[in-house]
Parts: sequence; C-alpha cells; structure tokens
Amino acid sequence: MEIIRKQVIQRVDPESQERGTTAGQAPAQELGTQLIPKERYTSDAFMRREWEEIWTKVWLLGCREDQIPQPGDFMCTNIGTESVLLVRQHDGGVRAFYNVCMHRGNRLADEGLAHTDEFSCSYHDWRYQLDGRFADIPDLHTFPQGAPPCDGLREIPCDTWASFVWFSLNQEVEPLREYLGEVAEHMEHYHFERMAMTRWVTAEWNCNWKASVDAFSESYHTARTHPQLLWYLDDFNVQIDLYDKHSRYLIPFGVLSPRVESAPEIPPPLKVLMKNAGIDPASYEGSIGDIRQAVQKHMRANQESLGKDYSDLNDDQLTDDYNYLIFPNINLNTHADDLMLFRNRPHPSDPNRMLFDIWMFELLPQGEPWPELPKHDFRPEGSHRSLGLVIDQDAANLASVQAGMNSAAYPGLWLSDQELRIRHFHKTIGDMVGD
Amino acid sequence: MDLGLTGKRALVPGSTKGILRHVVEQLVDEGCDVAICSRSPETVARALRELSGGRGNVFGRACDVLDKDDYESWIGEMAEAMGGVDIFIAGVSAGGGDDSEKNWWKNFEVDVLSTVRGCEAVVPQMQQAGGGAITLVGTTASLETFGTPQAYNALKGSLLVYGKQLSQSVGRDKIRVNSVSPGPIYFEGGVWAMLKDTMARWFEKTLREHPQGRMGTPEEVASCIVFLSSPVASWVSGTNMVVDGGFTKRVQF
Repeated sequence: MEIIRKQVIQRVDPESQERGTTAGQAPAQELGTQLIPKERYTSDAFMRREWEEIWTKVWLLGCREDQIPQPGDFMCTNIGTESVLLVRQHDGGVRAFYNVCMHRGNRLADEGLAHTDEFSCSYHDWRYQLDGRFADIPDLHTFPQGAPPCDGLREIPCDTWASFVWFSLNQEVEPLREYLGEVAEHMEHYHFERMAMTRWVTAEWNCNWKASVDAFSESYHTARTHPQLLWYLDDFNVQIDLYDKHSRYLIPFGVLSPRVESAPEIPPPLKVLMKNAGIDPASYEGSIGDIRQAVQKHMRANQESLGKDYSDLNDDQLTDDYNYLIFPNINLNTHADDLMLFRNRPHPSDPNRMLFDIWMFELLPQGEPWPELPKHDFRPEGSHRSLGLVIDQDAANLASVQAGMNSAAYPGLWLSDQELRIRHFHKTIGDMVGD
Repeated sequence: MDLGLTGKRALVPGSTKGILRHVVEQLVDEGCDVAICSRSPETVARALRELSGGRGNVFGRACDVLDKDDYESWIGEMAEAMGGVDIFIAGVSAGGGDDSEKNWWKNFEVDVLSTVRGCEAVVPQMQQAGGGAITLVGTTASLETFGTPQAYNALKGSLLVYGKQLSQSVGRDKIRVNSVSPGPIYFEGGVWAMLKDTMARWFEKTLREHPQGRMGTPEEVASCIVFLSSPVASWVSGTNMVVDGGFTKRVQF
C-alpha cells in the first residue's frame, strides 16, 4: 500500500488561530536512529527497573471523578503489584491510600467501584474511616505496643484534573499539573467534564504494556492492520509533536488516505462522520476531498441545533484526532464529540502480559440525560468477544508481536520517522531507568 | 464470430470508468464508433486519449446527464459527429445508499430519468437509421432482496418494466430493447473494492454467496452488453439477461 497521491491537508494556522488547542508544531528533538533493544519488552530485570524508576515515580490515572460522586464512594484500582483506594471524602475531596490493612497485610477491597461508610478488614475486622484513620481495632488492649504508629491507612498523593482522579506511589512527586505540562492545557479545551462515560472495559492481553502504547502511537500500521481507515483518515500527513515526557499526533479525519487513489462514492465510514455532524451524505453536493472541511464548517455553524458547544475547539479539532500520550501509559484519542481513553497497565509479574483498559466518553447534546455509569466489563485472556473492530485488529497483532519479540532472532525495534513517538517514549523510559 | 458491429454507431453516456468503460473498449475493438461522456472534462479528455487509435472512432465531451438540455445537446452533437445512432447503452447511476429521501430523488433523476430521456432522444435517430438496439444496465439488487430496502434497488427495477414495455412499442421500427442485470462486480476503483476494506464482513458474506467463489469482472458484463447490443442478437428483445455467475438464487423461468 504505497503512497500514490500527494495530499495537502489544510490545517488551522497556529499563528492566527483564535480558539482551541494550539495546532503549533513543537520543536524537533534529536532522538537518533538507534535500535530499541527488545529486552525492554521481554526481560524481568527491565520490568523491575520500570517498577522502581517509573511506576513508583510518576502520576497514574485512577478513575473518573463522577465514578465516585458521594462521600464513601471509592475506586479500588491495581497497578503492578500494588492496589490503591481512591476515596471520596466527606468534604468533597478525594484521597488515595494503599489498599492494605496495617495489621496482617490483607487487602481491604477488591478491584472495582464500591461504597462504604468505613473500610473494614475481612480478616480481623480492623476498621478505617474514609480519611484513612483507624476507626476501630478490635481488642486493642491485647496489643501491648498499642496501635501502629502510622495512625491508619498509608496515604499517597492524589489530585484531580479534567474530571479524572490521579494518584502517585511517589510521596515526593511533583504537582500533577506540573507533571502534565503543556498537554494539560491542550486537552482542557475538550472539557472532558462535559462528556458522559459510556464504556469501561478491561482486557487481559498477552503483550508487554509498551507494545500496546506503541500500537496507539503511530499510524504507519494503518494500511495493513486497519484497511477500512484508509477510507476515513490520512494516515501519512500526520503532525507529530514531542514534548517533555508526553507527545501527541494530529491525524486528519474525514479524508481519504493518500494510499487510496479515489473513492467511487462516499465511503461508508465518511458517511457516518457526516451523519454524526448532521450532514445528509445523499444531499452533499461537494467532492469527497472537501468533506473534512464541509463537516468542520457545518459543525461550527450548527453547534446550537446540534446541542453542542465547540467554542473552545479549533476547526481541525471538529474532525481530526488529536491523539495524546500522557506518559507513561495513557493514550487519549480526543475528538470534539468523544474521548477514547486507553490505560495500559503492566502485569504484576510477567513482562509478556498486561491489562488494557478502555474508557469511552461521549459529548451528549445539551439537555439530554446522561446514561448510567457503565458497569465494568472484564475480558479475561482468551476472550473472543469483540472490543470494536479497530481495537480487535490491533489486539490481533499484539500477542503475535510479543511472541515474536521473544525470538532469539529479534534484536529490537527498528523504527521509522512515522514512529517517532515510540522513539521519544523510549527516550523518556531510558532517561528514567538510566538505560 | 463477427458481431457485425463494424461501422455501427453507439452512444454510451457515463462511460469513462467501470463496466461502461469496458463496453466502450469492446465496441471500439469491434470497429464500432462510440460517443462517451462523464461529468469531468479532464476525465473525458483522458479517456478520449486512451481510447484513440482503435478500430472504431471515439467521440465525446463532458456532460451531466442530470442537465436535460445539456444531455440532449450531447446526444444531438454525438449523433451528428457519428452520422447517426444505432446503439444506445444506458447504465448511468447515482449508486446505492439509504441515507435519506434524497437517495430516491437522485436515483430517479440519474438512473431513471436520464435513461428515459436518452431513449426518447435516440428512438427517432434509430428510426431514421432503420433500426437499432437499446440496452439498459440494471442490477441483480432489483431481482432479489439485497442489502437494505433502497432507491437504487427499486428504481433500477423500474427500468426493467420500462425497457420491456418500450421494446413492444418500438419493435415495429426494428429497435430492440433489452436489459442486463449484473451481480456484484469487483474492480480496482469500484464500489466492491471499497467495501472490501470498509465493510469487510458484508463483502465476505457476498463473496461466499457466489457459486464460483468470486465476483464478476467488468469485462464479463461488458461482453454481454456488447453482444445484446450487436446485430448478432437480432432476435433478442424485451429480455433481461442476468450476468451474475449464478449469484442470485431464484429460478429464472
């Protein structure tokens, strides 16, 4: 699938754009062309270094704020070998604690959403208030040394940003907003807090967590892995922006790929894009090449009748995929009307396995009632239930990629400029683990 | 077999690509003069260049069959350039779709009305020439339930009725009228090549329903259209030839 057409994508001018996330190109970074050693994906030793130098150092995404609206609502989420409680407080704030009873080490809750007035250990009934402090230690007088000096659950840094709850296993972590850097401001234009959560899935995948991050950080695989998308987006004229730890790329939607010569009629996925924007494909008189801009114009002009507020987005954001990686493990496909967020979590002990979380959000027309929060949908290893066509296509590659990476014949990743975000991702990893 | 097309004059609107393009190429190979058109002047100019130098001459200019006056002028100009019209092949279509009521208007105007206008304009030409052949291109989507209920299926079906009844009224002028109903046809740049990527399951399902395990080619349909339009088919009129490799399951009595 060669590139057979020269395609010029009209983009908003970053110098003169009046609204929305900056379309400006970040300064280039010198990242070299060296091979990325495969041990980063396959070795137990590297996995342990990642735990010490990355997972226990950075900010990690825990849940949506509206999943825990009332005091006593909490999310229990695991990361690697740890488990964490994110707890809505009586004062409306959120605090985070290690999910472990300070008596004999029992976990206090299973992963997932729940509500409680106090946490109680299922072993000896030690009890903790929502703020983590001991509520009751049965037969305390039989502990001659008294209660543990920690005074309750071990608390960790916790903060909220853009409707999401974050935590860190690093007591010395920098402020969340500082950690997110400029990409926080970029994404605030989407107002995720206005979007309703519609899907919450976790799938067990047989690959390293980075293999999954990689798959959502480059568009070079589109032609072979997702041929249907060649009739919907430009997989080649993609703007890549590398920041400090984080990165993004901007993929034009609503156009044919330059790997496709022409379409005999409006391709079905473009029809969906048009219909979602309120344009009848049968009544559309323009050319297929003009659909992207027609959709942008239509959405801008009709946002009131669509019941949507796009005033904080630039025109490209009305169609395109502004795709962010928040280091180390959050891929955000941001669109005007929805957010597809992927959280890639390492397996507690096996570099060849991971947990893939899908969180979907939708901007509903104003006044339309929000759906109930989605229930957690868990797909154990070997599940063949579809996660959606595009993700199924990626998942089909990943187990095979991981198996191949373990081959004696394979030295590591040989990357193109189309995969620059992966190179940047690995530079950050290398800097942190000292590799 | 000599199809007897040498020196004949054919009008084939909307013929710069796909099945109708192959019809033009086969007619030219048989020594038939052909007039072509499509909406884009560049496309017509390129097709004229590519089709030149064959056994038959090729004429053409850009024309939108939706524009009644322009379409009728095109027919008149082409008839004059070729010195008459013996064959008219009508297969222009707005394509499928169930997006809105607009699909019905488009298929009516493009598929039905342009065919009717074309037939009404060429019949006097053929009467003058002492006879002729009109071949309408339909679809098997009119013959059996296919996809969603939609304008393309229904209105292409209306042309089967029109073609049959037209064959009765112009028979005495030695004008034959037939239809060809192709099943799914695969070619690069065609609808099924796009659906292979964008609606892979539907494509695979449709492919499986073909007894020979493949879709047809434009050449395979074009040769049937050319045959029916040629003097060799002199005793065939008012029929509908299904060209689908056995895709449709009904028994055609």
